[in-house]
Amino acid sequence: MKLIVGVADMKVSNDPNSELVTYSLGSCIGIAIYDAAARVGGMLHFMLPESGLDKDKARQKPFMFADTGIPRLFKAAYELGAAKSRLRVVVTGGSQVLDQQGFFNIGQRNQMAVQRIFDRNNVVVDFSDLGGNANRTLRLAIRGGQTGLKLSGRGEKFV
Amino acid sequence: MTDLRTIVKGIAGLKPVPRVVHKILAIQQDPDSSMDDLARVISHDATTTANLLKAANSALYGRTKPIESVQQAVVFLGMDEIVSLALMSNSSDNLKRPQEGYGLKTDDLWRNGIVSALVSQELCQKLALDNGHLVFTCALLKDIGKVVLEQHVAAFAKEISELVARGDHSFEEAEKQVIGIDHAELGAMTTQVWQFSEKMVDIIKYHHRPGESVLAPQETAIVHLSDTVCMMMGIGAGSDGLAYRFDQQLIESMGISDVDLQEIMAGIPEKLDDIESFIALS
Repeated sequence: MKLIVGVADMKVSNDPNSELVTYSLGSCIGIAIYDAAARVGGMLHFMLPESGLDKDKARQKPFMFADTGIPRLFKAAYELGAAKSRLRVVVTGGSQVLDQQGFFNIGQRNQMAVQRIFDRNNVVVDFSDLGGNANRTLRLAIRGGQTGLKLSGRGEKFV
Repeated sequence: MTDLRTIVKGIAGLKPVPRVVHKILAIQQDPDSSMDDLARVISHDATTTANLLKAANSALYGRTKPIESVQQAVVFLGMDEIVSLALMSNSSDNLKRPQEGYGLKTDDLWRNGIVSALVSQELCQKLALDNGHLVFTCALLKDIGKVVLEQHVAAFAKEISELVARGDHSFEEAEKQVIGIDHAELGAMTTQVWQFSEKMVDIIKYHHRPGESVLAPQETAIVHLSDTVCMMMGIGAGSDGLAYRFDQQLIESMGISDVDLQEIMAGIPEKLDDIESFIALS
């Protein structure tokens, strides 16, 4: 069963017949985590770096922001039996429109937000494909943890 | 390079914008016209009436009581909303089709047009610009040139993507270099054939290079920004991805900050379900 992770959305699963997928990551970032021993996976599709932008919005849609979305992704996976030490972490997205600079470069700011949160929490990234100006689709099969990454205009590769 | 005359001939293959749309736009731009004039023009066109009522009752407009007549719709929604709805109802035919040359599936270009149009409407309100309807229409139809150019983009996909991958060409610049014309230019030619106003043709032509617009620089900048927002959010995204330039200097000179940009983006997810049900209806 395909579980679609929408924009500003997160899903976890331990159903071996399910596959998590998020489409069209532009400047947004997709994070897939997977514990092979527990056969638990999760995926987040967040849009913006900091919930300080709009606290009300962050309460309604915590998966919109890196700082409110990432901790919830990990917690939800732990609740299904995943262990931090066993997690395989894949991060992708954070693209930019050409000539976007400084604060307007939301894709890069999203990347920096992930880095900051992971550094603070000692999370090691196993694979990342970030930046540039492609759109990306990320998928994660819960049965074996195969993680597929497709860039716009190119085929899918397993990472 | 392909013979440009062959490419331009493709415009004739599009379903033209119906006459009723031109009449609606003329009423909108005429200070002496009234809401009754608008209701009359729409009522005389059965397809537009049906589509308008369907759209007005869709989740996009979140009304609890059903709207049953054009007159009622005009009173409840006001002129700008009615014009926007009538335009949307009449623009879907060309944009809903898949555009394989750009890696776009059914409804992708249509979805991108609707979200761009809604974002541009919001920006016009924020900046207190009068030309909201004009910007809305241009944002909706800005990529109509892609429909004409897509088979040529497909034929030269390798050359275009190599130029873009080199890093010194936007997708539109690569189209121009490889094919001899880009989708914005072709979109402008299309709307010229459809007898849109000079301003609208100008906005569509320069939506990726708003700094070059002479007739409507502010309106073009708004369509440019709304398009950028859609690209960043991957809405109706194709093989061209985010490979377009952003005129940050111009956007900042209009008083729009990165916080404004983020707030606009943050407002989109809550509208997406309604937009999807509108797309399913159209």
